[in-house]
Amino acid sequence: MKSFSFKPFVFLIVCLFFFSATSAFAAPPDEIVIGHPACLSGKYAKAGEQAVGGIEACIHWVNSEYGGITLDGKKVPLTYKKYDCESKKENVTSLIGRLITVDRVDVVFAPYSSGLTLRGAPIAEGHSMLYMDHGGANNKIFEQGFQYTVQTIGPATSYHKGTLDMVKKIAPDAKKVALAYEDSEFATMVMEGAKTHAEELGFEVVFERTYPKGVTDMTPMLSAMKATDPDFVLGGGHFEDGQLFNRQMSDLNIDVDCLSLIAAATLPAFYEALGNMAEGVMGPSHWEYGVTYSQEAAKEIGTRWIGPSQDEFVSLFKEAVGDQDMVPDYHAAEAGAQVLAYVLAAEKADSVDSGKVRAALGDLEFMSFYGTWDISDSGLQVGHSMVDVQWQDGKREIVWPESAQTGKPCYPMPTFDEKAEGEKALP
Amino acid sequence: MKNRLRPYYPLLPVFAAYLVLFLVGRNVTGMWQLAATLVFYCALGQAFNIFLGMTGYVDFGYVAFLGIGTYGMATAITGLAGYPQLGLGIVAIGFILAIVMATLLSMAVGAVALRLRGAYFAIATIGVNEGFRYLIEGANLWNGSSGMIFTAQLNEILGRDLSSRIMTFWADVMVLFIAAAAAVVTLLYMKSKIGYALTALREDEDAAKVMGINVTKYKIIAFITSASFAGTVGAASWALKTPYVFPPEVFEIHYTIEAIIIVMLGGAGTMLGPVVGALIYGISKYYLSIFLPGFQLFIFALVIIFIIVMFPEGVVGVIKGKTRNTAIAPYIM
Amino acid sequence: MFLEQLSGNLVQGVVLGSVYGMATMGLSLIFGVLKVVNVGHGAFVMVGAFVALFFFNTLGLNPIFAIPAAFAVGIALGLTFYYAAIRKLLHAPELATLLATFSAGVLLEETIKMIFGSEFRGYNWDVGNIDLVFTALPMSKILAALGSVLIAVLLYVWFKRTRAGSAMRSVVEDSQGARVCGINVDGVYAMSFALGIGLTVASGVLLTMFIPVGINPYMGGGYTLKAFVIAVLGGLSSPYGAFFGGLVFGLIENTSYTVFALIPGVEPFALTRFLSFLILLIILLIRPTGIIKAK
Repeated sequence: MKSFSFKPFVFLIVCLFFFSATSAFAAPPDEIVIGHPACLSGKYAKAGEQAVGGIEACIHWVNSEYGGITLDGKKVPLTYKKYDCESKKENVTSLIGRLITVDRVDVVFAPYSSGLTLRGAPIAEGHSMLYMDHGGANNKIFEQGFQYTVQTIGPATSYHKGTLDMVKKIAPDAKKVALAYEDSEFATMVMEGAKTHAEELGFEVVFERTYPKGVTDMTPMLSAMKATDPDFVLGGGHFEDGQLFNRQMSDLNIDVDCLSLIAAATLPAFYEALGNMAEGVMGPSHWEYGVTYSQEAAKEIGTRWIGPSQDEFVSLFKEAVGDQDMVPDYHAAEAGAQVLAYVLAAEKADSVDSGKVRAALGDLEFMSFYGTWDISDSGLQVGHSMVDVQWQDGKREIVWPESAQTGKPCYPMPTFDEKAEGEKALP
Repeated sequence: MKNRLRPYYPLLPVFAAYLVLFLVGRNVTGMWQLAATLVFYCALGQAFNIFLGMTGYVDFGYVAFLGIGTYGMATAITGLAGYPQLGLGIVAIGFILAIVMATLLSMAVGAVALRLRGAYFAIATIGVNEGFRYLIEGANLWNGSSGMIFTAQLNEILGRDLSSRIMTFWADVMVLFIAAAAAVVTLLYMKSKIGYALTALREDEDAAKVMGINVTKYKIIAFITSASFAGTVGAASWALKTPYVFPPEVFEIHYTIEAIIIVMLGGAGTMLGPVVGALIYGISKYYLSIFLPGFQLFIFALVIIFIIVMFPEGVVGVIKGKTRNTAIAPYIM
Repeated sequence: MFLEQLSGNLVQGVVLGSVYGMATMGLSLIFGVLKVVNVGHGAFVMVGAFVALFFFNTLGLNPIFAIPAAFAVGIALGLTFYYAAIRKLLHAPELATLLATFSAGVLLEETIKMIFGSEFRGYNWDVGNIDLVFTALPMSKILAALGSVLIAVLLYVWFKRTRAGSAMRSVVEDSQGARVCGINVDGVYAMSFALGIGLTVASGVLLTMFIPVGINPYMGGGYTLKAFVIAVLGGLSSPYGAFFGGLVFGLIENTSYTVFALIPGVEPFALTRFLSFLILLIILLIRPTGIIKAK
């Protein structure tokens, strides 16, 4: 008798569970669903918002311009099911579980960052579900033997390769490079790649240090770096530390020929925050507005083209986020390109079965506004090449590789004193 | 007979809740991962409650014990990857290592911080958590900030199928057992001398000392017990469920806050409190993220302030007050 | 070269430390009077940073004008929060106030995010650089440091010379006694809380004068942790202690890097953080009243 009093409580929980479970049968069979535990709030909200915009833009294009995915001769529309994982790993697993079993999605797009991507991978793998990674750059994800996980974003070790190649080519006298990255799993891997490549090219690494996440003052490290008198500096990690890096280099009057920062430097907010001080600063990017990927370019190298042109993508993106002032960055582009890769692979496999689509993705090579695509056997992205951008007169110019240039690099960049006088970094 | 079992009645609703979670997770489509998350919150709350609830000391660095437990399991798996003959034994070794490391850390922390009270204790424990994380990153212990990713090693030792089952199912079951064990230990402590001593301490530490109660001893017992449970939760729910560890993620102060919220919502120092708190917290968080993506933190912050001001004793505290001297009373503690 | 760097870092440390000190005074004041640890401290600092940003970028005003405005915003926030929650929790266990202040921080972060978005922003107030022999300092940093010292002095005078100030001091000494002497303790609590939050928000402006970039809704976390260490250095309940604690902390953070950099195979920057928390523990253990004797 006594324990009966608990029944309403237990009953309530059960009801809640069932309530959510019934939505399982809502999805009609004649659509293909992309599931995504997006980071709409929490620490990755910025990148998450971009990714969602990019995905929605490309889905819109697929449904209205492309006409849907052709399966068995029939055009099937794509739909998008997203939840907010709050940038937390507990939510990633429960939401992916729900996407796969309740919403019965056909493919899961991983959340942003390597950590959260890794968190979701075992669940997707356990359900033999295709799991596409557009925001986890850590190479080690693809050394774990996952069978259904593929990468759209390029691996972390290649971020600063282009910058080093550029300096080697245009400034044969430059010798000394300083590396100063954030102490995080991603940035230290970029640093590792940069160091290896710098040594291959015959540069002398004169400074190699990290700074902790959430740093608010880098003066001691930068002072030590100044003492080594580097010709150029590679570094960075995230958004706020990149702004701080540039600012404090200026505060300490550390003038170098070239400064390239990952993540932060390619965003419009970087220039807005720093103003003229950001002139000449470079950053590697997976995609920037102005890249020269087009239908013609695809024809030239004899590969297949799909998707909107970059201008179409930008306007679709603005429409998707409902904000005409927001411009897509590479987080949006790589997530959008992932939709296109899925479309082609599903058509090639003529199926939405994860195993078949995964196999088709392995053989797939194509070009979109985001660039070329090709993955290795383990799922690592090897076909996509990064571009290097430089702030020139308040605009982001793509200065490397030469084949994608929208402008010539400015090397050496003006000194901080000159920049304080208002000098622009012009080639 | 009936009377001899009566002290154990409070376990009934707790176990019933766990059983329901397990059954719902197993039998309702799409619910296993949610059930697993809820179980994680229950285990976190139960383990934390042993210390926070019973002593009233707020350990703001509690997540460090989950972190060190994760490292314990990670060390076992990466270190012994070359011995596939160990089989599942490696998981057992991992748990032992997690417990040992969490216990050692808690002894070190306890020796320092438990001399302090109130806010000083809370700040000291934050210091331990942050300091420990920076030590790992700064001195490059366990690969420093690059962390460890060891799904491949787990596959190598246990085979792909078994390790996949562990990651998606058995790790969660282990957390469920840990949560249940923590509930049993809570009850045993409450019914024993430790519980009475700690109640005295919570009410008035100086008076308890004067009465000749060795408060330090009991505080340390509760602290170490709570910490070693946290170590096993980290080992199962972080290291086994997702075989990777990056220092900023496992020393993330938000987990401590979540644990505090869970205990507080349910009612600190009660047996059933952490379970109720974890269910309310986990379920509402899950549905908020589905129906109001992007706003859950804002809503949560408001709700929590409201609850602290209006119902500082928590849900179970309120129920306990209302049901005193009724037939249900023996089940609620 | 080692000495040159060390002396350069000393100078940087003093400038940085005075701003850090100012940014912690509010925390210590609130703890000293109400025995409440403001875990949401950093979020209030963040609000100040956004006030500065708004003044400079939207209104086109010098950040110095933002200081009194931020102070007023802080007073308003402090009073609201005190009467909405803190007042009812003064006699509750620590747990309640810790969680309430933390939630208040989250609430502020999410509100600011809704208004300004989660972009990382900054402003550019260029008033020149000063080149010293071994390091360079921008004028804006020096102004931030001077502003911090000035505010600390003003607070000191206010405490010593005004009725309200002495009422506050007597509550710190003995709240029961003060009540008996006819002091409106509840009023003092409200005033101290508001003043503490006001100082904290104002310090956000000074911090952006020091580092005018990376302003975003979640920037506060690091400052909360730093403020704890600094407050403990200064004895936790004394605002001036906190100010000097800030100076000591700035020096430790800047000089220890140079020393740790001599050890091979480690990340010196992370070790400076480790050191600061180690110092926190040691001080709490051997001398919880802080290393600086200041009343």
